[in-house]
Amino acid sequence: MTPPAELRFPILPEGSRRAPVGALVEVQDLTWRPFGRADPVLEGFSLRIEPGQRVLLVGPSGSGKSTLLRAIAGVLTTTESGDLAGYVQIDGREPQGSAAVVGLMVQDPADASVAGRVGRDVAFGLENESVPRENIWPRVRRALATVAFPYGVDHPVNALSGGEAQRLALAGVLVLQPGLVLLDEPSSMLDPQAATAVRQAIWAAVTASGATVVLVEHQLEHWLPEIDRVVALGADGAITADGTVEATLLAAPDKLAAHGVWVPGVPAPRPLEVPSRLCAPVGWDVQVGDVVMRAEGVGMLRRLPVGLGGAGGTAVGGTPAGAVLTLSGAEAVVRAGEIVALVGPSGAGKSTLAALLAGLERPSSGSVIAGQQLQSGLRGSPADWSSVELARRVGWVPQQAELAVVARTVRDDVLSTCRTLQLDEAAPRAEALLEVLGLAGSAETDPHHLSGGQLRRLALAGAVAHGPALLVLDEPTVGQDRQTWAAVVGVITAARDAGAAVLVATHDRLLMDLADRCIRLDHGRVIEAAESAESAAAVPPAPAPAPTTPISPAVGPAARRGRFRPLAERCGPLALLGSAVLLLAGALAITRLSEALLGVAAELLLAPLVLGWRGHRLRRLLPGLLAVASVWFSTWLLSPHQDPIAGATAGMRIAFFVLPGVLLARFIDPFALGDHLAQRLGLPGRPVVAAVAALQRFESLAGQWRELRRIRRVRGFEAARGPAARAGELAALTFALLVQTLRQAGQMAVAMEARGFSLPAARRVRRTWAQSAPWLPADTALLVLAAVVAAIPVALAVLR
Amino acid sequence: MVTHNTTQKLSARTARRLRTILAAGRVTAWRGVDLITAAMLAAAFGVVFWAFDTFVYPGVSAVTTGFPPAGELALGVWLIPAVVGGLIVRRPGAALFTELIAANIELFLGNQWGVAVLLSGALQGLGVEIVLAVLLWRRFGALTAVLGGIVSAVLEIVGYEWWSYVAGYSWTWRIVYLICGMISGGLIAGVGGWALVRALARAGALNAFPLGQEVRENDTSR
Repeated sequence: MTPPAELRFPILPEGSRRAPVGALVEVQDLTWRPFGRADPVLEGFSLRIEPGQRVLLVGPSGSGKSTLLRAIAGVLTTTESGDLAGYVQIDGREPQGSAAVVGLMVQDPADASVAGRVGRDVAFGLENESVPRENIWPRVRRALATVAFPYGVDHPVNALSGGEAQRLALAGVLVLQPGLVLLDEPSSMLDPQAATAVRQAIWAAVTASGATVVLVEHQLEHWLPEIDRVVALGADGAITADGTVEATLLAAPDKLAAHGVWVPGVPAPRPLEVPSRLCAPVGWDVQVGDVVMRAEGVGMLRRLPVGLGGAGGTAVGGTPAGAVLTLSGAEAVVRAGEIVALVGPSGAGKSTLAALLAGLERPSSGSVIAGQQLQSGLRGSPADWSSVELARRVGWVPQQAELAVVARTVRDDVLSTCRTLQLDEAAPRAEALLEVLGLAGSAETDPHHLSGGQLRRLALAGAVAHGPALLVLDEPTVGQDRQTWAAVVGVITAARDAGAAVLVATHDRLLMDLADRCIRLDHGRVIEAAESAESAAAVPPAPAPAPTTPISPAVGPAARRGRFRPLAERCGPLALLGSAVLLLAGALAITRLSEALLGVAAELLLAPLVLGWRGHRLRRLLPGLLAVASVWFSTWLLSPHQDPIAGATAGMRIAFFVLPGVLLARFIDPFALGDHLAQRLGLPGRPVVAAVAALQRFESLAGQWRELRRIRRVRGFEAARGPAARAGELAALTFALLVQTLRQAGQMAVAMEARGFSLPAARRVRRTWAQSAPWLPADTALLVLAAVVAAIPVALAVLR
Repeated sequence: MVTHNTTQKLSARTARRLRTILAAGRVTAWRGVDLITAAMLAAAFGVVFWAFDTFVYPGVSAVTTGFPPAGELALGVWLIPAVVGGLIVRRPGAALFTELIAANIELFLGNQWGVAVLLSGALQGLGVEIVLAVLLWRRFGALTAVLGGIVSAVLEIVGYEWWSYVAGYSWTWRIVYLICGMISGGLIAGVGGWALVRALARAGALNAFPLGQEVRENDTSR
C-alpha cells in the first residue's frame, strides 16, 4: 500500500499539499462542570462552525468563552477534572488525536514558550508529531516568514518583546498547518503597535491557509473587519446572539455594552461617582499643586539576571556586558491633585520610571526626590525609606497584579496595610472600596480564586485603602469590562479630587483622555511631557528610531572563533558532566594529603588547556572555596585528636572535585543537555522536554520573586533584620511564588498539550528532535583526561 | 468525547475514611501537567534556594561556625522540593524528578559543591521516593511527609556526606551530624513541606491534582 501523499512529501510548498480549506467544527450538547462548582460552566452547549468561517466569541467574563476554546482544542481536562458530557468534533474526528488539526494561541505568549531559541520553540509541535529532522527546519523557517518574524532561528526567546513573542507563538501554532485556529485574547497583553502587527500576521496567515478561526477578544474594534460571524454568550454560558457583525453588534450595541462588552462606536463609560473621602490621603495635608515626587535625570541600567547559560543574556553596545539601559536622563514631576499618565510603547521604560517614582528601586544615575511633606522626618531618598514609611506614603499597583495578593481573604488583603500602619478607622473605608470595585461579594474569598480583572481591582483597593499621598498604578485598567472600568477609573479620579497625586502607566486611550498630563516615553527617554493630556494624545506615535544600540549575542563560542578554544568549550554537556562525576569518584578514594595534593596539582596543570585562561568569573568559585575552608576547619575541629593533617586532607579532597566541577558546569548549555539526555542516553522524551521548558522559565520566576519582594515592601510588610524574621519572610515569599508557579504550569500545560506534548506517549512512538546530539572527539578527550586525573589517588593508594 | 467521571461516588461515611484521592488513571501514567508542574516547581525552588543562599544561609552559617554539625540543621531546606513534588503529583518518580531538576538548576547557577549537587539531588529524591513506595503511593499525610524528610536526610548523609564532607570526623561527631540532619529533614522538609502543600491546595493552586480535589470536595460537602 502506498503511503498517503502527505507522508511521502511533507515539505512541498504551501498550498500544493492541501487545498486551502478550513476545518468544520461541531459542538454538540457540551456540558462541563468542574469539580467544586455547583453549576456547570457550559450546559448543553451546541455550535456548528462552517469550514473557513471566522467567528468572534464575546461575552462577560466567566461566561465560559475560554472553557469553550479549550474544549474545542481538546485540552479541557488537562488542568481540571470534572463532569464532561457531549462531544466536540473537528472534521468529524475528536480533537485530541492530533496537534496538526487544531491550533490554540493563548493569552500570554510566555506560557507558550518551551525552548531557549526561536527555532526550537517553533519546532516543538513538529517534534511531537514525529516529523523527521530534515523536514522540520524548512517548515520552521516558512512559519517564521509567515508571521514576518524579524530574527533568525538562533535568536534567544527571552530577548523578545511581548509582540514578538506573541508572533513567535503564532508561528509555533501555524507550523503544524492547522485547519482550525483558536485565538484566546491574542493581543490583550500588547501595546497598540504590537497588537496591530500580531493581528496582521494572524489574518495574513489564515487567509493563506483558509483555516477556520475562533477568536475570543474584549477589545473588538480592530478585529471586526475580518470577522464573518459573532457569537455572544450570556453570563450563564448560553448563546444570546449569533449572526453577522451587522446583525449582532451593530443591530443591538447597547445590549452587549450593558453586558460589559467594549462594542465599537458606543461612547466610553462614565467614571463611577466615588465619594472622594474613600480615596483621600490619610494624615497628609498636601495642597493641590504641591510636588509630591520628582525624578531628576534618572537612568536605569538593568543587569540581566544570572542566566542559566546557553540562551542567556544579550549585551548592548555602549553598556557593560550583561546589562541594558532601560531608562536614561528621564525627568518627571508628580503633583498633588493631578493624574499623570506615563505613555509609550512596551519596553519604553514606563514601568521602570513608575517603580522609581514609587521608591521601589534606586536609579543607576540621577535622583528621585520626595516632596517636602513626604520627606519630612525621613532621611535618604525614597528607595532608602523603611518598608512602613514607604507604605504610609506610596500606594502601588504592579503590572502583574496577580502577584499583589498578600492575605488569605479579600477583606484581609485590603486591610492588611491599614493594620500594619495601625489605621483602625480604615475598616469602613476598605469595605466601601470593596463595594465600589465590585468585590464586596467576595470579601471572605481567598484572593487566589479571583479572576485576573478582579485581582487588579483588589490590588487597587489595597493600594488606596490606607490613604497614601502618592498612587503609582501600572496598567490599572487592563482586563476590565465597561462596568468595572468605570469603577476603577472612578476610584482613580476620586483620589485625584481628594488631593492625592496619581501616576498611571497605561496604554488605555480612554484613561489617557482623563489624565491631567501625559509623559511620553520612547526607548527609555522622555520624548514629551505635555502640560495637558489633549496635546499629548494628539501627537502621532513617534517614528520608532532605529535601535540606537545593536543587540548582539553575548560573547559566545562564535565570538571566540579563530582564537584558542579551550577543550571544555568544544565539548558536549554529557562529557562535561561525566568528567566532573569521574573526579567526584576519584575524590572518594583520597585518604592521604599527598594524594589530594598531587591530584590538585595535576588539575592546575591541565586547567589552562581544558578551561582556558580568560573569561572566568572567579566569583563563581567563591562558594566552592568557602566550602573547602569550612570542611577543612570543621574536620580539624571534630576529627579524632584534632589532627591538622586530617583537616587539610578533607579540605583538599573537596577542592579536588568541587572546584573543577563548578568551572566545568559553566560550559554546560542546559538546553543542549536535554537533547543529549534524550538522544544519547535514551531518557524518555516528555520529562526531558518538561524540564527544559521549566528551565526556560527560570529567569521569569526570578523576576517574579523580585516583584513579590517589592510588593511586600511597599505594602509595609518587609521583615526587619535577623535570621528568624528573614526566614519567615522567605516562607511567605516562597508560598506566593509557588502559587504563581503552579498557575503558570497549568497554563503552560494547556499550551503545550495543544501543540501535541503528550501525543508521542499516547501513540507509543518516539518524538523526533530538531537538533542532533553529536558525540565529538573533544568529548572523548575530556573524559580520558578526567579519568587519568581521577585515577591518580587510586593509583597512589595501590602503589602504597 | 465520552463522559468522564474521575471520582467515585462515595457515601459520606466512607468519604471521611477514604479521604485520600489517588492520582488519576494508572499511578505510573504521568499526565503532561504532572510533568510540567513538577519541573516548574523545581525551577521555582531553584529561585528560592538562590535567595536562601543569598539572604539567610550566610546568617545560619555565621551562627554555626563554632559548631559545624549544627549547620546540618538547615539541610531540610534542600529536601523540600522532593517532599512537595511527591505529595502533589502522587506518582512514582515525582519526588526524584523534582529534586533532580532543582539540583540541576543549582548546578547551572553555580553553587558550593559543583556537580556533586546532582548526586545529592538523586539521593535526596530517592529518600522520599522510598517512603512513598513502601506506602504504595497511597498515603500522603503529615506522617508520610515527615518520614520522607527523615529518610531523605539519612540517604544524603549516610550515602554521600559521611564519605565526602565529613569523612575526617570521628564517629561520634558523624552520628551527631546525622541526627542534626534527620531532625532538620523531619521538621523543615517534612512538616514544612506538608504545610506548604496544604496551604497551596487551600489557595486553589492544586486544582489539577488529587489534593486540590480533596480540599474542594471537603468544602462542597460542608
